[in-house]
Amino acid sequence: MAGNSSNFNTNLQKYVAKFTSLKGVIALKDGIVYTMPVSLIGSIFLMIRFMPFTGYDEFMAGIFGPNWAEPLNQVTGATFDILALVSVMAIAYVYAKASKAEPLSCAFLALVNFIILIPAYINDAAGTAVGGVIPKAWAGGQGMIAAIIVALVTAEIYCFCNRKGLRIKMPDGVPEGVINAFSALIPALFTMTLSFIIYIIVKAITQVTLIEWIYQVLQVPLQGLSDSFIGCILMAFLISFFWWFGIHGANLVGGIIGSITLANSLANQAVIDAGETLVAGQNALIVTDQIRNNFIAMTGSGISIGIVVGAILFAKSKQYKELGRLSLVPGLFNINEPIVFGMPIVMNTRMFWPFTLVPVMCAAISYIATAVGFMPAFGAAAVPWTTPPIISGFLLGGWRAALVQIIILALACVIYLPFFKQMDAEAFAREAAAVDEDDDDDF
Amino acid sequence: MINVLLVCSAGMSTSMLVQRTLDAAKKRGVEISISAMSEAEAKKHLDGCDVILLGPQVRFLLKGITKLTEGKNIKVDIINSVSYGRLDGNDVLSQVLRMLE
Repeated sequence: MAGNSSNFNTNLQKYVAKFTSLKGVIALKDGIVYTMPVSLIGSIFLMIRFMPFTGYDEFMAGIFGPNWAEPLNQVTGATFDILALVSVMAIAYVYAKASKAEPLSCAFLALVNFIILIPAYINDAAGTAVGGVIPKAWAGGQGMIAAIIVALVTAEIYCFCNRKGLRIKMPDGVPEGVINAFSALIPALFTMTLSFIIYIIVKAITQVTLIEWIYQVLQVPLQGLSDSFIGCILMAFLISFFWWFGIHGANLVGGIIGSITLANSLANQAVIDAGETLVAGQNALIVTDQIRNNFIAMTGSGISIGIVVGAILFAKSKQYKELGRLSLVPGLFNINEPIVFGMPIVMNTRMFWPFTLVPVMCAAISYIATAVGFMPAFGAAAVPWTTPPIISGFLLGGWRAALVQIIILALACVIYLPFFKQMDAEAFAREAAAVDEDDDDDF
Repeated sequence: MINVLLVCSAGMSTSMLVQRTLDAAKKRGVEISISAMSEAEAKKHLDGCDVILLGPQVRFLLKGITKLTEGKNIKVDIINSVSYGRLDGNDVLSQVLRMLE
């Protein structure tokens, strides 16, 4: 049995290593990281725009005049509304860089291709098409999945041309900037012609642009899948499952599903921006980035603060007293490697069930609390994943979200306690036996 | 001076090890400079390192990082998961010194 599970672990490590070293996966994970400063600082302005107090709008209008929100909208409109543009460039940039090709030209090329493939007009209230715009609906949340695809395809063609030496050769002594600009000419010709042809074909068949089509056939179903009760629970389970094997589950699962949960948050924000109220079951998506970052992974994946609290209050063994002391502060900031490797939880069959069960329970409670309308669904405003729980809940969704977090944390403490006590009793017995042996040595 | 780079997913949990390892080095009189970074950051800062240590939770990066450091005389390994869990700077320092032997 032990042999089987360690075999399984070796295989799992191997597959995860293979998967995470795929160029596309690296580019996706590292590329999305570039959207973080944009969306986090945008969040500050967004939170000032939408404070969850009644009478706030009137209060602000009283001080700064009726157009008080307009400058704030300028900032949020330049951050959340263009996340797909940031992503398409960032992903192509990382991909080219990893392939040792000149990255900036590749990033611009991906941006150009993306814009070729989105609508070039918006409809005004009367339904008339207005040109001369880059529609923010497609530059932001609704374009996320398409941005990933366009970036990866463009970057691969760019790198392919680079590998095959398909570029205009420059004589020695030509400055590097000039060489780079010229070396992008052939991939630019290829990819832009390809986008041009795709635009014509997709338009002829579906009457819409490629980006709109990808949104309908791929992004909406993916968002729907991620937004289901089962999807939410599965996400929580998988994060813990990988961690149990010693693999950074939040990083792995988040790298894949992060762009979708982010799109869910942005979809909710679009509803708020339209002046409507988010209602779960009608116009709100439940499983947002905030649920993934600030609920399921509270105090670190597995919501391991339950173990820390048990250790601080009840530990008899030196080992776990020390572990509790060591893990408390990082745990408050949602970092729990000391627990995962120090307890350890990795490959520890006794801790497998609470470690997976607690986050699953957390996912279920968060989902239901939102579905029944107790906790608000989250828009684009986000806090860093290191924000301590309860504070993060309060910032994101007022006292109700904070209360949901408190309930989950309390349940985590209760569920972990019996498991922790067993581990502690064994450690205590081991320590006592070791002391006895030491005593024997003295004689 | 030994240059050490600690790598984990976000550079957060390894950063807790930095000060502890520096303290251990001071006690043992080893001249060392240590920084902790996320995997994405780390890939830009490989040059000039003597040792790169990965957090055990990102051990799946080993192959990729080893490939990037090919021919650069940089030693790459995974931090022992027990020392990592205990945030044992002394153990980590010993591991660094063993790798450079």
